[in-house]
Amino acid sequence: MTTEPRLVITAWSAVSPYGIGRESFVDGIASSTSTVTELDQDLWQGPTSRGCLVPGFDIREVLGAKGTRKMDRVTALVVSTVGQLLADGGISTGEDTALVLGSTMGSAQSIMDFTKDVLVRELPYLVDPAKMPNSVMNCAAGACAIWHGLKGPNTTLAGGQAAGLMALDYARRLLIHDRAAKVLVGAAEEYSTERAWLDRHSWPAETPDRVLGEGCAVLLVETADQAALTGGRTPLAEVLATESRVYLEGDPTKVLIACVQSVLARAGVRADEVWAAVPSSVGDRGRLESGVVRSLFGAEVVDRVPTGDVLGDTGAASAALRIAAVLSVAEHSPEAAGRVALVTSADRYGTVACSLLRLADPASS
Amino acid sequence: MSTENITTTAAISPEQAERIKRVVCEILEIGEDEVTETSLFIEDHEADSLRAIEILASLEKEFGVVIDQAELPKMVNLRGVHLVTADAAGW
Repeated sequence: MTTEPRLVITAWSAVSPYGIGRESFVDGIASSTSTVTELDQDLWQGPTSRGCLVPGFDIREVLGAKGTRKMDRVTALVVSTVGQLLADGGISTGEDTALVLGSTMGSAQSIMDFTKDVLVRELPYLVDPAKMPNSVMNCAAGACAIWHGLKGPNTTLAGGQAAGLMALDYARRLLIHDRAAKVLVGAAEEYSTERAWLDRHSWPAETPDRVLGEGCAVLLVETADQAALTGGRTPLAEVLATESRVYLEGDPTKVLIACVQSVLARAGVRADEVWAAVPSSVGDRGRLESGVVRSLFGAEVVDRVPTGDVLGDTGAASAALRIAAVLSVAEHSPEAAGRVALVTSADRYGTVACSLLRLADPASS
Repeated sequence: MSTENITTTAAISPEQAERIKRVVCEILEIGEDEVTETSLFIEDHEADSLRAIEILASLEKEFGVVIDQAELPKMVNLRGVHLVTADAAGW
């Protein structure tokens, strides 16, 4: 058996209801204040009056007028998050830089707007051609690559709430097979009126306290050797392993437990070595997932990192944002050095995924 | 402006040329003073094939005409757009 290279996270950023950029996210997670706000009913005429939105996220104000005329919200979230990450670290892009983006379905708003135009305009083809690219799922990743000059492999991965973890595993495969020197990997979800309606009609019985959120988190993942070679980039965490499974019987409990056990076994980590376990905890399904993880690791381990409920239901972005939350907490927790963090996700549509990270120990590097 | 029009396209009024220019400049995200009769959309104004289709579709809507997509290769600059639009509209 050949030894796979060690993979490390060397930079990250997030655009979330806590604001734009890494610092606002670290501060927000430290305070772990709720981000639920009353929605401006002129802008968001959906089924609910509350949401967790990125404050002041006006696309043209954030990214400028050039190239954003027909850009949709999820694309802008990704372009802006990747821009923050690259600028923070002074990171170069080009042929060797890949992008892997987790998503639910791209922009529900764009897809439904475009389809509606086909049906209601005078003739079915009298649509706005500039909005056609927005209606395909990989628009955000493609537009982001063009914007930032990411010329390596460009992948969009639909995995619902587990998408961020599946994207992380996809990034691992790109790196171990030498398809890229570094991979920007993350996940994004926009808030939109159409998403809110889809959610309302898909899950009418869901607890009403579940509020939809939005955001994007992106990590820079590379081999430990590559990070050392480039100098300047210090590993923040090592990516140990990711496992995913499906459940078909409606209750993910058994499959989630098996998935956690297999990811621990794959990484050769004992359960008592896990310093922080971060399940999703939004809504009925999140509470169930959280309860299972709590039963496996205890309250102390689960409560170390504020779970996703402070940001609302951020859909596909959820697991990626929770990895960012782990890194945020570790930044202020000297005792986290060298310890292991587990991020889990039990998506409502039948996917379970778990990733293990080992937080960097500055003393040993 | 008007003299240039007379020499380049036969049957287009200054008012029509102005409307065409407004449509094109909005799509290319440039100021109306940045484009000339002969400046090339792709080479000079960073357009791509999608922008070209967008110009075609927007002109169809603006003037209530139908422009055959086979005309796209001619629509490389304002002069080309004038000719194609005038032809489609029967000006």
